[in-house]
Amino acid sequence: MKKREGLSDSQCTGQRLRNRLKLAVIATAEREVQKHEMQISPHVMTALADLTFKYAEELAKDVELFAHHAGRKSVMVDDVLLAAHRNEDVVAKLRAFARSLTKSKEHQPEKKRKRAPNKEPDACA
Amino acid sequence: MERTTTMFQPDTVHEIFKLVWGQLASKAERAKDDLDDTPEGEVVAAAGATKKIRSTSANANALKLSCELLHLFVCEAVQRVAIIAEGEGLSTIEGTHLERILPQLLLDF
Repeated sequence: MKKREGLSDSQCTGQRLRNRLKLAVIATAEREVQKHEMQISPHVMTALADLTFKYAEELAKDVELFAHHAGRKSVMVDDVLLAAHRNEDVVAKLRAFARSLTKSKEHQPEKKRKRAPNKEPDACA
Repeated sequence: MERTTTMFQPDTVHEIFKLVWGQLASKAERAKDDLDDTPEGEVVAAAGATKKIRSTSANANALKLSCELLHLFVCEAVQRVAIIAEGEGLSTIEGTHLERILPQLLLDF
């Protein structure tokens, strides 16, 4: 890697995050493009990654504003749903996804609770 | 559409969020400092400092949901762009195709 000169700390982390996001964008786009049996030119990929990063930045601002407006310091699921309010289809999909998240969360502790009592008697014996 | 798992990682998204929030906070702080370089000085500054640390945090599910949103954004972009390229009978997606779909895409998200 090239030594970064004259870059501030936040610029460095910004670049690092940009690259990390770019990897995810490339992986996602590549998979999507293969469904159409097409190819995507590197320029477009770079533009798309840049676009996604900017979108993520805007999302961060929106979501923080919503949380603060609700009098919270912590961003919740509802804030993200609100950020996507422009597109009803997206909201519906995200809502379904959120529901699956909370469901899987509800299931996990149950499993742990079930396992824990079984282990304890074993340990005692 | 079948469910495909996201390639976006909540950690990455969280760090991006934190970076933006940090920048916003420092910007707000600077604006505030410019506004009040008043005498009451240190007491106010100290009180403000504790308040300013109220950095925003994010719920784990909210981050996963953000990842999903970004995933949808990229998928939608690629699908739209692929349709345009297909319409032109090309098998490679070029910049002009992205330009064509960009305005509507940004309106939709």
